[in-house]
Amino acid sequence: MKYFLYQLKKNPLAIVGIAIIVFWLFAAFIGPSMMSFTHTQIDADHQMARPGTNGHLLGTDSLGRDILSRIVYGSRSILTVALLTSIFSTIIGILLGFSAGYFGQKIDALFLRTMDILMAIPPLVLSMVVLGILGDSSILSLTIIVSIAFVPATARVSRGVLLTEKSQEYVMAARIRGESHLYIMFIEILPNTTGPIIVEATARFAYSIMMVASLGFLGVGLQPPTPDWGMMVIENKPIIDQAPWTVLFPALAIASLVIAISIFSDFVSKVLVHER
Amino acid sequence: MKRTLLTTMLILFVATTMVFATGSRETAPSVKQIRIAEQVPGLITPGVWDGQAFSMNSSIYEYLIEMNAETGALDPCLATSWETVDGSVWTFKLREGVTFHDGSSFTAEDVKFTLERTQDPAVGHLKKADFEVVEKIETPDAHTVVVYLKEARPTFVYQLTDYNMPILSSSYDYASFGESKPMGTGPFRMKQLVPKESALLERYEDYWAPGLPKVDQLAIYFVADIDASISMLESNRVDVVPFVTPVIKRRLDAVDGISVISPYQEQRFISMRVDQKPFDDNRVRLAFKYAMDPQVIARSVAQMDLNDGVFYNETPIMNALAEYKDIPLRGRDVEKAKQLLREAGYPNGLKVELYYASDHPFGRELSQTIKELAMEAGIDIDLKGYTRDIYLSQYWLNVPISLTGWAGRVDPSMLLALAFAGTGPWNESHLNDQVVNELIRKISSQADPAIRTGYYHELQQWFHENGPLINVQVPLLVAISDKIVDYKHPLSQLPQYKYMDIL
Amino acid sequence: MNRSAQMMLRRLGSLIATLVVMSFIIFLLVEIMPGDVAQMILGQSATEEAVAALRQARGLDDPLLQRYGRWVKGVLVGDLGESVYMQGVAINSILWRRVGHSLVLAFTAFIMFVPLSIFLGVLAGVKEKKPADSVISFFGLATMALPEFVSGVILITIFAVQLNWFPIVSVIPIGQTLFQNLDILVLPALSITFVMFGYVSRMQRSSMIGVMNSDYIRSAILKGMPRKYVIFRHALKNALLPTITIIGMNMGWLFGGLIVVETLFGFPGMGSLLMTAIKTRDVPLIEACVLLITIIYSLSTMITDILYSYLNPRIRFQGGQR
Repeated sequence: MKYFLYQLKKNPLAIVGIAIIVFWLFAAFIGPSMMSFTHTQIDADHQMARPGTNGHLLGTDSLGRDILSRIVYGSRSILTVALLTSIFSTIIGILLGFSAGYFGQKIDALFLRTMDILMAIPPLVLSMVVLGILGDSSILSLTIIVSIAFVPATARVSRGVLLTEKSQEYVMAARIRGESHLYIMFIEILPNTTGPIIVEATARFAYSIMMVASLGFLGVGLQPPTPDWGMMVIENKPIIDQAPWTVLFPALAIASLVIAISIFSDFVSKVLVHER
Repeated sequence: MKRTLLTTMLILFVATTMVFATGSRETAPSVKQIRIAEQVPGLITPGVWDGQAFSMNSSIYEYLIEMNAETGALDPCLATSWETVDGSVWTFKLREGVTFHDGSSFTAEDVKFTLERTQDPAVGHLKKADFEVVEKIETPDAHTVVVYLKEARPTFVYQLTDYNMPILSSSYDYASFGESKPMGTGPFRMKQLVPKESALLERYEDYWAPGLPKVDQLAIYFVADIDASISMLESNRVDVVPFVTPVIKRRLDAVDGISVISPYQEQRFISMRVDQKPFDDNRVRLAFKYAMDPQVIARSVAQMDLNDGVFYNETPIMNALAEYKDIPLRGRDVEKAKQLLREAGYPNGLKVELYYASDHPFGRELSQTIKELAMEAGIDIDLKGYTRDIYLSQYWLNVPISLTGWAGRVDPSMLLALAFAGTGPWNESHLNDQVVNELIRKISSQADPAIRTGYYHELQQWFHENGPLINVQVPLLVAISDKIVDYKHPLSQLPQYKYMDIL
Repeated sequence: MNRSAQMMLRRLGSLIATLVVMSFIIFLLVEIMPGDVAQMILGQSATEEAVAALRQARGLDDPLLQRYGRWVKGVLVGDLGESVYMQGVAINSILWRRVGHSLVLAFTAFIMFVPLSIFLGVLAGVKEKKPADSVISFFGLATMALPEFVSGVILITIFAVQLNWFPIVSVIPIGQTLFQNLDILVLPALSITFVMFGYVSRMQRSSMIGVMNSDYIRSAILKGMPRKYVIFRHALKNALLPTITIIGMNMGWLFGGLIVVETLFGFPGMGSLLMTAIKTRDVPLIEACVLLITIIYSLSTMITDILYSYLNPRIRFQGGQR
């Protein structure tokens, strides 16, 4: 932990990244209650209003809704989906990848086969087709489908990590002691693999955000009136010359979040790799 | 070796960018061409035509009767005259000297074929129900058709102006070629069709009207994204974009050389289901209606003022129609709404769901505005938007509140029978009221227009007081370049390109 | 050589097996969707009867396996079926044209970002911690975080709307081919380039830094060889491998990016065709598009893998030559 803080001081960029992430978490949790407008409130007299008009700090869209509120409220859904997705895909990835790496042989072969199949479709295509066919997305459906699309990647990493550990002495010692497989996998090995797995999880987090935003852009994002940052960009593109703020701010929101998480991910990998 | 490889790639990169940036290659056509950007069509064969790609089909196919774009009157097209004695026998005299694009002559056989085709199960014709009233069809000579109806329908002739009823050739295999090689008697013929991408139409040399069409070609692009179509219009790659939204109108108002016109209105019905709670109680229906603010709806949905592009009433009759009765709007009264709810047994308001088609124009904006307005009166609306096919096939007729787009019809009786008669197949509100049913029956069988209008007024009064309906009329907007001369687009939804010219 | 040939055959075999399973899953997924194809086709005015009639006429009510069998038979023969949507219009005629367009777009993006990323990545690595490095690194990081549609919108606004250098919409004028309108490729390809640039240049940079610090390079410089020569010759030798690795790893994003970009720019490629197919519930078209994308994607990952093992001396020479 001390080492962590020490590294942090040496790395101003990482501080910025973490600050941005904290900002968005704060926005997601407390933000909505701090807003003077709700995300659906229609200010019919101030449509497409410039930032600053009538208390709308970031302006309004074509219906007269406050952009700032919509972004803040939207941070909730995008962070929820991205967080849940990275957690689920990591957990499932660990379960599958560990089992494959640990038991080897047939199970591993089965695992590799299945992953090959899942990986045969680009993740965005898979998500887009399934969600497009289902008709409309909820936080649940988005989470589940994007997690499924990401599992091959996390599972592979977990498997690789387990294979590295498998040959270590402490594993053999545990086996000799007579510990159960589950015990060995999750009580002995797992704690030693947190480094790479956390790095992978944070990377997944960044990818999830981009994926959710892209799906919103393609029109399979969350149901209105829940604001979806990607959808906000595509919905307001036709008025980009009349009201550029309606596109600019959601885009900046997406970009800032992804950049911050990428920086954080880099930093984490630097720290954890060194610790080994 | 690697160095040369990478240097080569670098040079390639620079060179390619330079090559690519040489500007667009628009070859100036030596022929007069109107270029159009419209929605990507689904099916285009008449009978199952889903109502997209109007520019294309309205130029290739023709109808017995066409609607006058200025007056709304019925003009002769393939039929030169029509008459009826008592509304149950209709005689049509057909135009002579008309040929289809494949050279075959247009005769009474083709009209008979077209009408009988509506009942053919293999086709799955969308107008089957409308034409079930036809008893038999006779063709005494090559240019006369006599249609016998099972009952008197004074307004039968209007059904022939429906966009799915152009006259087809009895000798052409539409089942096999309807989608790839459309063929009719229209002023333009299909020269080249790239499915889902574009269509090139050229003048039909043997078209029956002298001097028409005025231009030589129609170049139609199928563009899914409205923003893209507008960009094409602004950069002079197309001349016409039908179906733009009011937000885009604002954008184009600032651009020289482009105008946005509004040929006609479309309806948006917000229907409450009256055969179950909570809307079985008229007080709740009234409460909902009192919560609405027409001006806010107009501004929010279309950025227009009420009665200046957007219209609002609580009846199934559009403001623009002759039969419309101008009942003063009740005006928003949130307190009254709350009071009515209390009386009906909902002192703490109520929660209800509204279903709509999320990809249909104005759907999102309208539903969200309604939700906001109703909230203040204590009505908490849960919005459920689905893509149109799912909405129509799974939800539309079975939900507490539905928001649906209805095309205007010159003869509203057709719509009444479909949507508000107790036995109507598209009865969204599950209305089955004796007074209404009786009025609808009287309207359909009354030949005297003055008396008919009286019935319409009665009906509208009933709807205002007891009805489950809110009717928001939104404008159909068309963006055209100022180079276009004589743009004509009647309520039948069929733009008439044969009359248009380009500078 | 025998070993690699064997390996390739095995990979091909597993590829085909994957595709077979994939095809069934795709078929299943699409066929059991909610929402009625026939209803969609006929639109709002359809009566129950009309919908039922259409379903029958197009064979939509036949049992699942029968439909699958029909489809597979068709695919093998090269006939991807008729669009349920447009009777009489073979999917083939629409699909291959669009595939070609997408490949050209992908190719354009490649020749844009590969040399650029390698060059700038190497530069950043060589000038580590100097201003040039910071600028390039930050630029890479920033563009990496921008989803393609965001960078696309920015590019459109600057280059198409304001400066008017390129067309805003990537539509091919009627009667012309893509090759007469190459300028429609630039902005879409650039959007894809941005994202890939970030990844590749960062990889190049870190691998370059590693190389620069290696004993071999240090001793070469100490020996007196000119620095520039050392860099070019020895460092660049190692440039190709990480590039291919990264491209391979991000192949999935590249494909996803193609779809997003094509939709944004209205480019007539496979991505936009898939979007249209989904929106209109054109079942055979969706299946054909997804199948084709899957095939191309699997092939390209396989090729990158093979390329990687070929170029990676450790793997190449581990094949029992010692």
